[in-house]
Amino acid sequence: MSERLKYQMPTPLRASIVFGLIYTFLVGVSSLESGIKVMGADTQESLFSSVSNPVAGLFIGILGTVLVQSSSASTSVIVGLVGTGALGVGDAVPMIMGANIGTTVTNTLVALAHMRQSEEFKRAFSAATVHDFFNLMAVSIILPIELATNVLSNSAEKISERLVGSAGSEWKSPIKKWVKEPVSWLKDLGDSIGASGNLLGTLLVAIGLVIILISLAFITKNMRKLVADRIEASLNKVLGKGAGTVAMLLGLIITISVQSSSITTSIMIPLAAAGVVSLRNIYPVTLGANVGTTITALLAALATSRPEALTVAIVHTLFNVGGIGLLYPMPYVRDIPIRLAENLAKIAINRRVAAVVYVIVVFIVVPLLGVAILR
Amino acid sequence: MVLSFFKKNDSGLELISHRTIKMLADARHSFDLASAAVLSGADYDSVAEDIRVTDDHINKTEQDLRGDLVTHIAVHGGTDIGVVLSYTLLIKKIERIGDQAKNILDLAEEGVSFVGEDDVAELIEVRRAISAMFAEAADLMAENTSEQAQDFYDRATELRRSIEGKIRDFMHSDQPGVYAVPRAVLYRYWKRIVSNIAGVVTGVAEPLQNLGYLDDGQTDIDD
Repeated sequence: MSERLKYQMPTPLRASIVFGLIYTFLVGVSSLESGIKVMGADTQESLFSSVSNPVAGLFIGILGTVLVQSSSASTSVIVGLVGTGALGVGDAVPMIMGANIGTTVTNTLVALAHMRQSEEFKRAFSAATVHDFFNLMAVSIILPIELATNVLSNSAEKISERLVGSAGSEWKSPIKKWVKEPVSWLKDLGDSIGASGNLLGTLLVAIGLVIILISLAFITKNMRKLVADRIEASLNKVLGKGAGTVAMLLGLIITISVQSSSITTSIMIPLAAAGVVSLRNIYPVTLGANVGTTITALLAALATSRPEALTVAIVHTLFNVGGIGLLYPMPYVRDIPIRLAENLAKIAINRRVAAVVYVIVVFIVVPLLGVAILR
Repeated sequence: MVLSFFKKNDSGLELISHRTIKMLADARHSFDLASAAVLSGADYDSVAEDIRVTDDHINKTEQDLRGDLVTHIAVHGGTDIGVVLSYTLLIKKIERIGDQAKNILDLAEEGVSFVGEDDVAELIEVRRAISAMFAEAADLMAENTSEQAQDFYDRATELRRSIEGKIRDFMHSDQPGVYAVPRAVLYRYWKRIVSNIAGVVTGVAEPLQNLGYLDDGQTDIDD
């Protein structure tokens, strides 16, 4: 075909850039942790008192993720905050679950771009909202169980205890050592401009957040370019031949590779819209993406010094694996998100505004009202 | 299957290009068989079954390639949109060649045979020229050189015009219908096939807006 003159960065160079970005991301998490630690105990308490109500925490998780359009970013921040000790595991768990709901907004927004063509929109919107409904169902079942029994956090605590030590202790993370120096430079920079106490803490938190968001965005962008051909080849091989566990594994692998479930699920939307892949084939891919995205929070936990941070990251993984374990094996239950998504899509093609209202209400209005009332 | 993610693969467009070239080879196979049925007296039943199977394969490949092209855009974004649209057009042209081969086979089913006719050598020569164009078109798709594509396109245009001349001659011929009509129809199908092969090659080199048109967009050359 026509000759393409695009510059292709050599793979080793791009891979090195990704490693550099992962390091930068970990510096961001560590800076966030240091910033919170620099703040006084009163400030810390006032910052996180609003999430002591689990439902408020859930809504904050949704809102925060919708705002940054990345559950990898929001869960990494949550893990970083737990790493400071200012946010408890119990308070972080609903926020993590909220992040799982919030992240589904991205592919739903992508689906709205297909609104002009009814059938195309119906397929795209149902493919996007099946992810929403699955995650909403998972949260509405698992959150009450977790609040009543702490089954997830207890299990995660046991795992992290085996890996890095018991809660309350200080964990000597090797990665923490590697990122210590750049964070101390940031502190020195703050000192040099006369910042101290809460101001220095706020500065470090802000820098940490910016670093996390930017580095994650570039990790995703570069990794997507690195593995695009592999993603394309595997999608063609796997999705044309059916769904199920293989598709789920593919969703997991793609998401781990690009460090973003939104990328994986958003790639599926044009495929669904064009009718290349069916809703039933897309569904397990999104579930694999749910699990795959938890890798970022696990990575972020390596830059903290408290086992609790790792516990929360493991809760994130257990929640998503548990959700699949609870909702996927039984065909009737498995089909509920599919039926809900198809029915919502039917409504949406008759009243396009319903699709927009759905997005605004579920991802913005309800969480905002919830936070306002419950905090 | 999922382990294919970790294997080193050709790029998506390279894979699409390979499959398109294979599709073109299938179309040539159908063309050669169908032409043999009317020119060399090949057994109709065995040829018909082979062409049916090959045509099913061509159609399935076209559908698969459409999916692959959508996947390519979904994964890589809009950068390759021009190439993807060109492929969409040219795989349709190849699929049409498969259909036109079946049209030639229909002539054999109707009892048309040029075996032993006075002009069979000339017809076989034209068939050979068209068949060779398939191989050349496949090479051009693989090599991606616009100068050779232009040369090929010029030769295809010359052949197409010569075939058009033949059709015109038979339309105004004093020969009986049983002689002139099968020849006019066969040449008509060959003309379509030549146009479609030329279209496949222009898909490689021409700007998207010009594909399938001659004379700066005045004439639709394909059908």
